Parts: sequence; structure tokens; C-alpha cells
Amino acid sequence: MNGPLLRIEGVRKSYGSRLILDVDCLELHAGESYVVTGDNGVGKSTLLRILAGLESAQVAKYLFEGYSVSLENYPRELRREIIYVHQHPYLFKTSITGNIAYGLKARGVPKLQRETLVKEAMDWAGVANLDHVPPQKLSGGEKQRVALARAKVLNPKLFLLDEPTANLDAEARRQTIELIQRLCLGNNCVLIACHDYELINLPHMRRMALAEGQLVPQVEASQEQAG
Amino acid sequence: MMDLLEPAQQAFHLLFAGDPELWQIIFISLRVSVTAMLVITPFAIAAGFFLATVPFPGRRALVILVQGLLASPTVVVGLLLYLLLSRAGPFGDWRLLFTPEAMMIGQGIIAFPVLVAFTLSAVQSADPRTHDTAVSLGAGTTHAALTTLLEVRFGVMAAIFNAFGRVFSEVGCSLMVGGNILGLTRNIPTAIALETSKGEFAQGIALGFVLMLTALGVNYALAFMQGEGGLK
Repeated sequence: MNGPLLRIEGVRKSYGSRLILDVDCLELHAGESYVVTGDNGVGKSTLLRILAGLESAQVAKYLFEGYSVSLENYPRELRREIIYVHQHPYLFKTSITGNIAYGLKARGVPKLQRETLVKEAMDWAGVANLDHVPPQKLSGGEKQRVALARAKVLNPKLFLLDEPTANLDAEARRQTIELIQRLCLGNNCVLIACHDYELINLPHMRRMALAEGQLVPQVEASQEQAG
Repeated sequence: MMDLLEPAQQAFHLLFAGDPELWQIIFISLRVSVTAMLVITPFAIAAGFFLATVPFPGRRALVILVQGLLASPTVVVGLLLYLLLSRAGPFGDWRLLFTPEAMMIGQGIIAFPVLVAFTLSAVQSADPRTHDTAVSLGAGTTHAALTTLLEVRFGVMAAIFNAFGRVFSEVGCSLMVGGNILGLTRNIPTAIALETSKGEFAQGIALGFVLMLTALGVNYALAFMQGEGGLK
């Protein structure tokens, strides 16, 4: 497919009289990684949540793989292609395995296949040794890694990662960035909202800034360095 | 002061000698309350979840009404149900008055607001990320709702404990629509009321003892199913 994976036009979102998003156009392509930066409260999370169908907004046009999408009647099939990972991921009060298997169960993946995929995802995220720990007792970094594994196991076409390294200590942040870097090397599309300098400057990352509700493309930092 | 020791000894004797009349009363009590709970609980939990999550005009008034109904006297529920089920009432043709089924309906009505109000409160206290996470991972509406209920199971089980406690020990409605017929509608609370009024304290104490033990036993069984829940 040559067209964009996702194209959304005329996104407007207000809270009361305050217009926080007024995005003309956002286009995301398969296999690419994007980062949206901007001050706190500028609407980065809201933009990601709108794309994931978790928040309502005025949208002129929303196309996913060329098909028109309605936010009011967000198709269930699309929820299977776009996974949103919260800044502070919520882990269900079950085991870590149960958490990672949740989306696979929702998709009706048979038990044996599910077990194999969950194991692979746990190995990928380096959380296999934590399976006996109740999710509520995990550290912030461990929760983030489980949440990434829970998203990765579903192999969606688009990952939406909301501030994945916020409030993590140095080691947890390093591990999370390493996972995201590996995620970005795959064929999926990744859109990250963050302030993290290291994430922003990952190789091949396409950068945008959100300011006063509008998205502005940023100069490629790697090119700057190369120049 | 009345001597309680002798009736208490007689009560234990009645219980452990396997007095058939006593055990029949216990069985009727359990059958009526457990059936009423089994039938009404899924609807009430769904109603509580709906009230907690779906905004609609008049929702606030409905929530206040449900919470107000928590304090409804069981005897008033019994009276209304009596009027509805009596021969001259709109449902007189069903011939349900003075049957265990009438008691089940009454207990279901009494349990309903308790279950709805406690479920509502439990779901409202759920972490807002629960639903978003479930939906984002591909869960449909029902699956996401069940996930949220499962996450707040401690609160939902509290709803069931409270409702069961209320219906298992209520006397007013059972007496009015059941009629306290031995072997058919005489349950533990109505039997205690009758035996005490006759001065048969041993039977009354034995039944009171069973009432408390059974209520505790059912709660322990539910607590076991609940697991560690919200306990830290």
C-alpha cells in the first residue's frame, strides 16, 4: 500500500471555551516512527486518545488505510489495529500473563497459540521473571514494560505511546527506551507523545511539535548533527 | 431475669438431634433467599453498572431514588406485594400469594436497590483507565464492562453480602406474602417471630443461632470466591 496508514484532517477539540487542538492534517505511514513534543497540557495526550477512539472531537476527515472512520462510531476492527498505551499504564488485577493475554483473548486467539505469543512477548520485554509478582506490586518501569508487551503481542499497525518514559528512574527509563527502539525497528507505525530528549532523538524518528493546538513539523535532529 | 441457659441447651439439642421441622425451616429459608439472589443479582449489577457509566437525563434523580430505597421497610414491600398478588389485585390470577415464589419476588425487590446502589458505588470508584485500557486492547462493550466489574469485584461482592444479609434476615415481607405456613413458607425469621410469641424460646434461639451461622457461612463462602480483592 502506497498511501498513508492514517490520515486525519481538521481535528478540533475544545474544553469549554478553550480550543486545545486545531490540527489541519496529520499523516502517519506504516513502518515509520513519529514523536510529538510540546509543553504539558498542550493536548498531546488528547490527540493520541482521539486517534485511538477514546476521546470525542470534531474531525473533518479520518482515513485509516484509505477507509473512512467515524469517531462517534469507532469501528471495533480499528481498535484492533491501533493500540494506545497510557502514560501510567493500568494493569488488571490478574497475573502479568493474564494482562498480556487480555487482548489476545478479546480477539479469540486459541489458548495454545496465546500461551506461545504471551511467552514471546514477556521475553521480548524482559518481564518473564516477574510472572509471580502481582501487577499492583510492580515498579513504574516494570508496569510500563508489561504494558508495552501487552500492546506488542497484538501486533497492531499503529502504536500510540503516551509519555512512556515519564516519571521513571534512570534504569527503568533506559530499559523502556531500548524496548521502544526495538518496537520502532519493526514494520508497525509508532507515534509517541513525550518530552524525553533521548526518545525524540532516536534515529529515523520523525518529529512534530504541538503548540497552540497546531502541529508543526520539526527539523530532523540527526540531519542537523550530520550537517 | 429470664434464664437463657436452658433454652440455649435445648436449642443445641434440637439442632444436633436433626429435628426435621427445624431443618425444613432452614432449607426453605436458604432456598428462597438463594433463589431470589441468583435471579435478581445479574439484573441489579447490570443496572448498577449502567447507572454508573451511562449519562442520561434524570440519572441523578434515579440514583437518589435507588439510594432512598435502601431504607425501605420490608413490611411496606410486603404490603405492596400483598396488594398486587391478592385475589383482587392485578396479579391475583397468578395465585402466588402465600407461596415461596411470592417470598422470592419480595426478597428480590428488597435486594434490588441494595445491589444497584453498592454496584454503582463500586463502579464509580473504579480507576477510569480500566475501561479505556480494556477498550484499547480490543474488548467489546460487554467484555469491557465485565472487566471493570471484575476489577471492582471487592465492591461488587460487598453488594452481594449486604443484599443477602438483608433478605436472609428480613421478616416483614416474608410474613405478609408467605403467610408463615409450616413446611411451605415458614422460614427462619418468621419461625423465630412465631416461636418467640408462643414462648418457645428454645426453638427461637436454635433458629437465631442457625440464622447467624448460615449468614456468616454464606459470607465466608463469598469472601473465599472474592479472593484477596482490594485487601492490601
